[in-house]
Amino acid sequence: MIRTHRGRDGWGIELGALTRAAGVALVVAALALGGCSSKKNGAGGANGANGSPLGENGMGPGGGSSLDQARNGTLGSGAQGPLSDIHFDYNDSTIRGQDGDILKSNAQWLESHPNSRVQIEGHCDDRGSEEYNIALGARRAQAAKDYLSTLGIASERMSTISYGKELPICTEETDDCWAQNRRDHFVVSQ
Amino acid sequence: MMKSVIKRMLFIAAALTLALAPSAAHAQIRFDISKAPTAAPIAVSALKNLAGDDDHSVSAEFDRVLMRDLKLSSYFRIISPKSYIENAQNSGYDIGQFNFGDWSSLGADFLVKGAIKANGDSIVVEALLFDVPQQRRIMGKRFTGGLGDVGEMARRFADAALQSATGVRGPFDSKLAFVSTRGGRFKEIYTSWLDGGGLFRITDNPTINLFPSFDSGARHLLYLSYKTYAPELYLVDVGRKTETPIAPGLGQAVGGALTPDGRIVGAYSRGGHTNLYLLDSAGGEIRALTQNRAINVSPSLCADGSRIAFTSDRSGTPQVYVESLDGGDARRVTYQGSYNTAPAFSPDCKKIAYESRDGGGFQIFTIDAGGGNARQLTVSGSNESPAWSPDGRYIAFGSTRGGRSRIYLMRALDGYVIAPLTEGEGNDSNPSWSGWLGN
Repeated sequence: MIRTHRGRDGWGIELGALTRAAGVALVVAALALGGCSSKKNGAGGANGANGSPLGENGMGPGGGSSLDQARNGTLGSGAQGPLSDIHFDYNDSTIRGQDGDILKSNAQWLESHPNSRVQIEGHCDDRGSEEYNIALGARRAQAAKDYLSTLGIASERMSTISYGKELPICTEETDDCWAQNRRDHFVVSQ
Repeated sequence: MMKSVIKRMLFIAAALTLALAPSAAHAQIRFDISKAPTAAPIAVSALKNLAGDDDHSVSAEFDRVLMRDLKLSSYFRIISPKSYIENAQNSGYDIGQFNFGDWSSLGADFLVKGAIKANGDSIVVEALLFDVPQQRRIMGKRFTGGLGDVGEMARRFADAALQSATGVRGPFDSKLAFVSTRGGRFKEIYTSWLDGGGLFRITDNPTINLFPSFDSGARHLLYLSYKTYAPELYLVDVGRKTETPIAPGLGQAVGGALTPDGRIVGAYSRGGHTNLYLLDSAGGEIRALTQNRAINVSPSLCADGSRIAFTSDRSGTPQVYVESLDGGDARRVTYQGSYNTAPAFSPDCKKIAYESRDGGGFQIFTIDAGGGNARQLTVSGSNESPAWSPDGRYIAFGSTRGGRSRIYLMRALDGYVIAPLTEGEGNDSNPSWSGWLGN
């Protein structure tokens, strides 16, 4: 009925590794913001047979993504690249009428800059679970990609990424703020 | 290359040297776990230092962790040590060697006493649980280990005390993983004990790290990171402190969870559709678990590995579904509410906790895994990301009830919120609760 212990001989496990690990922060020197990329593994931590050390770091490819802006403190400053954002209704990924016009002018810019590439970022407002919102943002980014595709932009020039609700440009809990955050953002690279 | 890791094996041996006969122990069950407990007063005496010196730091550490865990269980209320009459160093610690009257006069229902002695490089801690009104010893444990293991001894004793008092082993010999922005950082993954001790940062990159997921023994941890700017899942070997990127080439990684046997269920987005895949521990695809044009995310494994619960909007709104890991049709579980997500299977696989949209925020509910019997557990603030304790009695969750987001602990039975599990600056979210570390 009652078991006051498990196993005839009681407990016995190795404890040393975990308790030591608990006190030791795995600090790998963080690259300065704006520093160069492609830091290789090996700056600390044991390197196992199949695995890399924890804590490696890196900067993004284009440098102008929303994640880069969050890292250098300019996210939400209103700075736009050559392409304009579009916006969405709550929990929706349909391209709205006025945003179709924005996509048309974005497509014109891309046509006149044939060597450029674009990464389409999908973003969400902060209501709902993180994971569902990453999937919703992926749907929003894909909606713009499909639309630009129908306007003749080659899909090889376009990539998509979703940041879900992780990178809001407005942080108040208001309808206006939420509406600003439900967006596709376009990051151009040459 | 500094690679001189000294492998020092420390063992905690908890021998049940002082067990009572089963019939006597049976009479000691004080709590009916199907009912909300009234906290019983317990006194936690200092451990008697058998070396006879004045260093009581081990005792203080043991008692601090033990009292915190007993309090977090909500079955016990700690009687303040300031009121204790007896001096632990001047009295014995087993039946016949101390006066129960010194404890009954404080109103104690339960009493913990014990002793500590050094044994070469290791220490031996003996701890005993007594029923004060009946003047009986209920349970005893002897632990051997290093100085760094004292907290672990206390956690195991707390779990054993709960086993004795309720018939079900306590949940504290386990780990919590969560996401935090503490230290002014971006979202990083941390692990800690349930009592908040042993805080350890797993990630170190100023991007976005989300969705920690332990395997049952906390040997591995899966999480999602944007650290290369292309989001991927990473599988951490907790002991070796190494990690492996999981890159099956199925699209953008959206989230995932570990199966009890170390495989991975990952959510990947391609062409705007997000589907779930069963992967091996190296990231190789075993099979697709969903194949549709909807969103399928937030997998949670039932502890026997047979089924997953997940969120899908295939019906038009996000709802919770259950599906066999062998394949087969998904079965919808939630029907009330227009936004139900973040499902978490209870350890016995009978219930699912999830969050449901309620006005501007979310509340945590439980529902039978086969559907039906939905119960709302939380009411105040916005409450998200439920995670069950290994014994199924508790749920950790993220909540903004106190302002910034913190991880809280509540009873699964009635939604009674016991205490916050995290504190300090920053926002804490996405709790994952491992299984027991010891067997």
